Amino acid sequence: MEISIWQAFLIGLIYYLGTVGTPWLTLLGSISVVYRPLVGGTLVGLVLGDPVTGCIIGATINLPYLAFISAGGTVPVDPGLAGALGTALAMAAGVQPSVAVTLAVPLGLLGTMIWVAHMTVDVFFVHMADKAAEKGDIDKICFYHVVPPQIFMFLITVIPVMIGAYYGADVVKELITLLEGKPLHVLSVIGGILPALGIAMNLRAIGRKGTMAFFLFGFLIAVYLHLDVLTVALFAGIIAYIYTILLAREGGLENESGSI
Amino acid sequence: MNQEVYNSDKKLSKKDVVRAFWRWTFFSHANYNYERLEATGVVHCLAPILKKLYGDDKGEFKAAIKRHMLFYNTEPHFGGVINGMFIAMEEERANGASITDEAINGVKTGLMGPFAGIGDTLWQGTLTPILLAFGISLGIEGNLMGPVLYTALMFGIMLPVAYYMWMTGYKLGRSGIQKILEGNLLKSVMIAASTMGAIVLGALSAQFVSLSTPVMINVGGGSMALQADILDKLVLNLLPLAVTLFTLYLLKQQKKATTVLGILMALGAVGGVIGLF
Repeated sequence: MEISIWQAFLIGLIYYLGTVGTPWLTLLGSISVVYRPLVGGTLVGLVLGDPVTGCIIGATINLPYLAFISAGGTVPVDPGLAGALGTALAMAAGVQPSVAVTLAVPLGLLGTMIWVAHMTVDVFFVHMADKAAEKGDIDKICFYHVVPPQIFMFLITVIPVMIGAYYGADVVKELITLLEGKPLHVLSVIGGILPALGIAMNLRAIGRKGTMAFFLFGFLIAVYLHLDVLTVALFAGIIAYIYTILLAREGGLENESGSI
Repeated sequence: MNQEVYNSDKKLSKKDVVRAFWRWTFFSHANYNYERLEATGVVHCLAPILKKLYGDDKGEFKAAIKRHMLFYNTEPHFGGVINGMFIAMEEERANGASITDEAINGVKTGLMGPFAGIGDTLWQGTLTPILLAFGISLGIEGNLMGPVLYTALMFGIMLPVAYYMWMTGYKLGRSGIQKILEGNLLKSVMIAASTMGAIVLGALSAQFVSLSTPVMINVGGGSMALQADILDKLVLNLLPLAVTLFTLYLLKQQKKATTVLGILMALGAVGGVIGLF
């Protein structure tokens, strides 16, 4: 499959729309929706004329980033780039979803450079806003808050992805034959353990007494009772409710540290 | 709501408060940065309100802008309750109530951490993986309802939550802060959220972290598969559990997420090459 220059541009645009902070679809529409390869991949498929294949590949690429968390401005991997560019290249090169996910892993790592660039350069616009604040010019602050950072973000997201999608397919085809065997196996091992990072980061963020017991409980009922995540979540909600009430009755809330 | 006597001609309408909510919903992270994170997002969402409240007093107007140019970072949907509160405080202040800069700042810095904790646990740690697991299970079979339902549920749940938090914060205003800080409400919500989150994360690690070993062990005459004959007999999915706990251990050693990521990749690469995984 060939990717035209216009399709490449639209794929870049999908990546831009999914990048955390772009205002067009609300913050939620970026980080929680288009950023996720399940959705981003489907949109890329739509651009390339086959949304179903895009959806299958996107969903597969999404697996390592299931419990992805962005907290306090740190982002260890970039599911957005893995989803948008990863799906595009996989479709263009005609590879299996299981191979696509391993190809997308390095892309997800590269994407963090774009994040760091935007988080760093945006500091510059805050200082310009400071000057406007001295003059009491709030319209200018609003301008600095939206226009320059978004133009910068647009450029650093659309251009690399456009180039990658337009020229990448042939490279990927060659790469696949080169990587055949051991290297692809190694990438798939890494892809398999990647979800552990998101899960552990979430656990660390929770980090209160008793967390590990509940974590192990969730693990064991999923493994041995074969319950899916949604069902476990329903049980978890009830258990959390009862546990909190019992803890409050015991006066345990007063001893709770780290709340405020 | 407020006992002090002041002239309340600078009343914010519901429309003003809702407008600020939408400005925040779309633009909160438009200039997200390492130095002050959501600071300019706060000023941006407040712009029409500050103009209305302090438009006739240049000094107060400038002071209000500077007050909100400080570091601010919280989870933007659940944490919107804080924005609602400081909007109510700004309204009272503009009408003569004695609310200091420190009081407004105290509310922001005091509550942003706890609400980031609650919000991130519920939104990124619990709701998102649940909905994704559901959407992916459909999508991976080529069912377009996967991404469509995922998107609809995400917006359908989170936007009403965010709106409710925002309006509640505004209605409670200053008195609400006392309620939240003195009572056990915040602690209860945090404990319930983290309990539910921990259980769901356990289930996720069981279903979505995958690691197995092809190693065969020669015992006497025959050979045993390390995975099927030993590890699986102990605890199913023992290796995924171990790698998750190992990752958590590394993070608890104050290692950066990117460093931990590097270690995991090295582990996978070395293990994959030597035939351990």
